[in-house]
Amino acid sequence: MSSLSRDVAVVGVGYSELSRSGSFEPRALTLQAVRGALDDAGLRGADVDGIFEYKFGPESPGAQDVARLIGAPDLAAFADIFPSNPSGVAAALAAVMAVASGACETVVVFRCMTREGGYTGGMSGDAVPVGGREQYVAPYGASNVMVTMALLKQRWMAQYGRPEEDFGQVALNARRWSSRNERAVLRDELTMDDYLNARTIVEPLRLLDCDYPINGAVATVFTTVERARDLRQRPVLVDAMSYGTGPRVDWLFVDDPLYGGTRTCAERLWSRSSVTAADVDVAQIYDGFTTVTLSWIEALGFCGYGEFGDWVDGGKRIGPGGDLPMNTSGGQLAEGRLHGISFLNEAVLQLRGQCGERQVPDAEVSLVASGLYPQCGALVLIGG
Amino acid sequence: MQTDEAKDGTAAEGRPVPRPDQASERYWEEARAGRLSLGRCTSCGRMQYPPEVLCTFCQGEDFEPTTLSGRGTLWSFAVVERPFHPGFVPHLPYVVGVVELEEQADLRMLTNIVDADPAGLRVGMPVEVTFERRGDAALPQFRPAQRTGGDQPT
Repeated sequence: MSSLSRDVAVVGVGYSELSRSGSFEPRALTLQAVRGALDDAGLRGADVDGIFEYKFGPESPGAQDVARLIGAPDLAAFADIFPSNPSGVAAALAAVMAVASGACETVVVFRCMTREGGYTGGMSGDAVPVGGREQYVAPYGASNVMVTMALLKQRWMAQYGRPEEDFGQVALNARRWSSRNERAVLRDELTMDDYLNARTIVEPLRLLDCDYPINGAVATVFTTVERARDLRQRPVLVDAMSYGTGPRVDWLFVDDPLYGGTRTCAERLWSRSSVTAADVDVAQIYDGFTTVTLSWIEALGFCGYGEFGDWVDGGKRIGPGGDLPMNTSGGQLAEGRLHGISFLNEAVLQLRGQCGERQVPDAEVSLVASGLYPQCGALVLIGG
Repeated sequence: MQTDEAKDGTAAEGRPVPRPDQASERYWEEARAGRLSLGRCTSCGRMQYPPEVLCTFCQGEDFEPTTLSGRGTLWSFAVVERPFHPGFVPHLPYVVGVVELEEQADLRMLTNIVDADPAGLRVGMPVEVTFERRGDAALPQFRPAQRTGGDQPT
């Protein structure tokens, strides 16, 4: 037997302040989140021997910067993971593998974004010839993820004969929960009329189908279950994790673009987990665009394909008191866009019973599904 | 030089043009001649879009050039009303479409839907290829089918 298999726990979660406007130093935001997560665990920078970050570009400090800032004596494993990986949770999945393998003992993961430095989805204004995959996209004025999401939303509605309100249920649900989350940047409840009257970004994709860019950072600490027993918080066990891309990986040019990698990621997750979809008490599911959430719910087996609209039952199913409380922080649509790791933290807080007025009673099993189409990642977490 | 000609073209247009590579050279060359053409894998018999250096279904490396009818159905579409790129400002609103070609299930292309009122578009409607000159390049574009049946589009 090699040493490459140890049980892994989440032991600390941290956030910076989240805000809609203003100018912020990304290193200060990151440090606030990382220190918060270490304090939460009862650990210090000197205990950290692994750091993984998810980033788009220069909007955040790197793993090595954070090691210097928190006084980590040396890093046994580290990476700044760029976004061909599962949105945000790529860093968490790397941390799980690092601890499980024995490469590291205690790992910090983080994501930091600012509105000034963050990617906003704009295209280069250059008119020069474009190569690679873009040669089939940019000449058509389609080099933007929001165009892809609009195409998938339109197709979904046509293929299943469903109304736009199905997507609206995800947007309304976010605000139902965020009104109970002081950290969330958007806390006013929405009506379906609000949703249907929101301006289109690329028709039929509406403003309220898209997550909300913020200034903020979020961090999580992982270690072995064995070590976790001696730390400050009730440990949360990582029961299973998976990635998924789907075959012939692409955002659009695949057999099944409506679901992409969500199906294989979900199948792999459940094949490894000690629980099933029916055991999930609270779900945290990526909502960078509402289209993604619908695909995940169906791929994860919470309902059949094309059945989300009936299953969601006017929002009751996923709201407070529902069978599957979902995105209880308000998600990226309302708490703010922090790319996956904020879903992980919310799952942990729910399993510890620390969510105050949005707490799901007796939550023991949580699912985190992050990323979209060719870049999916998921975890099952179980309360200790 | 190919690149210089294309640059001249884009300077006039302001919109990007494709830069062909080893996998796509023939595709864009055929488009300039007014033909929609993909490679059919000689191992598994399937076609793929976009062109690649090998067959992404079976990893076969040999293709038989195949001219397509240019007919298909509209798989999805989206209307861009706000620009993401300055070159497209004079062309707003424009329609981005995904077209499923009639020759093979799930064989889809990204395109613009031209010569059509966006309000009249619906998923599943028949469309046909047309070619847009842009600088030195020609882009396959699609429009609502002018007639139905087995005739070649004119």
